[in-house]
Amino acid sequence: MQYNKRIMNKWIYGFVFLMLFFSCKHGEGEYHGVVEKIEAESKNYHGVTVSSEQYHDGIDMIKISEGGHEFLIPERKGQIKMYACTECHNKPLSKMQTEGEQKAHWDIKLVHANENTMSCVTCHNPDNMDQLKSLTHKEIDFNKSYNVCNQCHTKQFEDWKGGAHGKKIGGWAPPRASMTCVNCHNPHKPHFESKWPARFNTQTVKERE
Amino acid sequence: MSSNNKKWFSLNLGRKSSASSGSCGCGKTSGGCGSHSSDDYEMTDEAFVAAAVDASIGEERTKDGFEQVFDVKMDRRTAFKKLTASLLIGAGAVSTSCSVISGDESKEKAQIDWEEQFKGNYKLMTDEEKKATVDRLMRSYELRTGKNISMSSKNAEENILFGYAFNISKCQGYMDCVNACVEENNQDRDSQMQYIRIHEMKDGNGFSFDEADDNYYHEVPAEGHFYMGTQCFHCDNPPCVNVCPVQATWREDDGLVVVDYDWCVGCRYCMAACPYDGRRFNWKKPEVPEAEINHNQHYLGNRMRKKGVMEKCTFCVQRSRAGKNPACVEACPTGARIFGNLLDPNSTIRWVLENKKVFRLKEDLGTEPKFWYFMD
Repeated sequence: MQYNKRIMNKWIYGFVFLMLFFSCKHGEGEYHGVVEKIEAESKNYHGVTVSSEQYHDGIDMIKISEGGHEFLIPERKGQIKMYACTECHNKPLSKMQTEGEQKAHWDIKLVHANENTMSCVTCHNPDNMDQLKSLTHKEIDFNKSYNVCNQCHTKQFEDWKGGAHGKKIGGWAPPRASMTCVNCHNPHKPHFESKWPARFNTQTVKERE
Repeated sequence: MSSNNKKWFSLNLGRKSSASSGSCGCGKTSGGCGSHSSDDYEMTDEAFVAAAVDASIGEERTKDGFEQVFDVKMDRRTAFKKLTASLLIGAGAVSTSCSVISGDESKEKAQIDWEEQFKGNYKLMTDEEKKATVDRLMRSYELRTGKNISMSSKNAEENILFGYAFNISKCQGYMDCVNACVEENNQDRDSQMQYIRIHEMKDGNGFSFDEADDNYYHEVPAEGHFYMGTQCFHCDNPPCVNVCPVQATWREDDGLVVVDYDWCVGCRYCMAACPYDGRRFNWKKPEVPEAEINHNQHYLGNRMRKKGVMEKCTFCVQRSRAGKNPACVEACPTGARIFGNLLDPNSTIRWVLENKKVFRLKEDLGTEPKFWYFMD
């Protein structure tokens, strides 16, 4: 009887051992999930051969370095139709605003925050029209206009630097090129308009009838 | 017979360019074999395809489920018709190739059809075989339409794992991505197939797909709603791949889940297995107006599909493997779509995963999608 019990115990232990042995295997995969896989396999990352540079053709870029991120953004001044501004703005603003004369910039209406917060000179430098200015009257180059925006929109700026806000130019492969604020948002009217969707699937409607 | 090391039996179809000209599949070099006798068997391309389709699915195209099995009127005539249809395909190919009268071009066409018919699974092909099939398909397109396409067979590269992030607080439901996808990937215009669906969800109800609408038509964004897009998530543990009985779909080393349209038998198991409704079936021959065809193609991507095969989003393999962003990412006017290399610690997609609060759809299923959602 005692002997039988011992043999039985052996069998049970053996069986349990085998069960544990097989059940600990998680399929064929080496990793428990894709996040673990990404962490492990990116440890010895040594670059890729594909590049997005060929898709930046025809766009003038400048390299910027912000908060540990280095990337390209489109050059701006060459894209402004009437730059340099001082070609017209050659005397103080008060002297240019004469009654009865034809107005310049008549098409620009500021729809950005409210009147208490923003006016033309919140961003534009009345003393030097070729430059923008910060809230503390420091000059900001038109090419780096994101420095004007990031005074208020700090969260968006963080996301943009990291790559969570805004669009890329070219492709995913290095070198990274991102659009800057004013490539998508009109600074005088920065919100996106509502519009009709680009597509309506009439077949789906038929199928669901 | 050709002497090179192929995995399938090759016919020497007697084209002038080949080394031993004039020999026929039957082995004779002069016109004494039966298949030379008549030109009546020479088929046009359309007849060839129609016969092939008839032979394989026939009436089933209009029926579904058990009807395909039980509701078949099969008299002797149809039975014979089906039998002869498959015979005709073979006979057509052989007669075209052996015919002394038919031109070099039609012989080349027949040669290509033959080789394409008996090629192996793309997954198992060597790089040379991949290049050969791509070359054949390009030549075949040229012979049929007189126009050139470029088709790539570029393999997955080391150190790349593609991933995608979708910002649900940025998407406004404009659906520009859907249009860009359809145009890029040569999807059937007639059935209005689309890989991407944008769901309009009520604020405060969470992701309730049963209450969401993915085919809205009113000015967007609509008050009190948010928008989220679904497409193939390129799971790292893809259930669709496991159920495929012929291994016509698989996960590439760069993470893309792809389909060999020439190996797919159209059983739609993968469609049933996908928990995200990421796969689409071609119930009819996809039609794209010649002027709208995207000529920049990849074997595993946007090349023209045929009737009765599965297809789905490939993260635009023809673009992504060349360093570009998928068409949907490029088209999105709000910047809600982010694409990149998950293995590159400096990529923007990695920044999103590490610094935003991300989640995936039906994460508990263990499918490990490489498609994350996040909010501002």
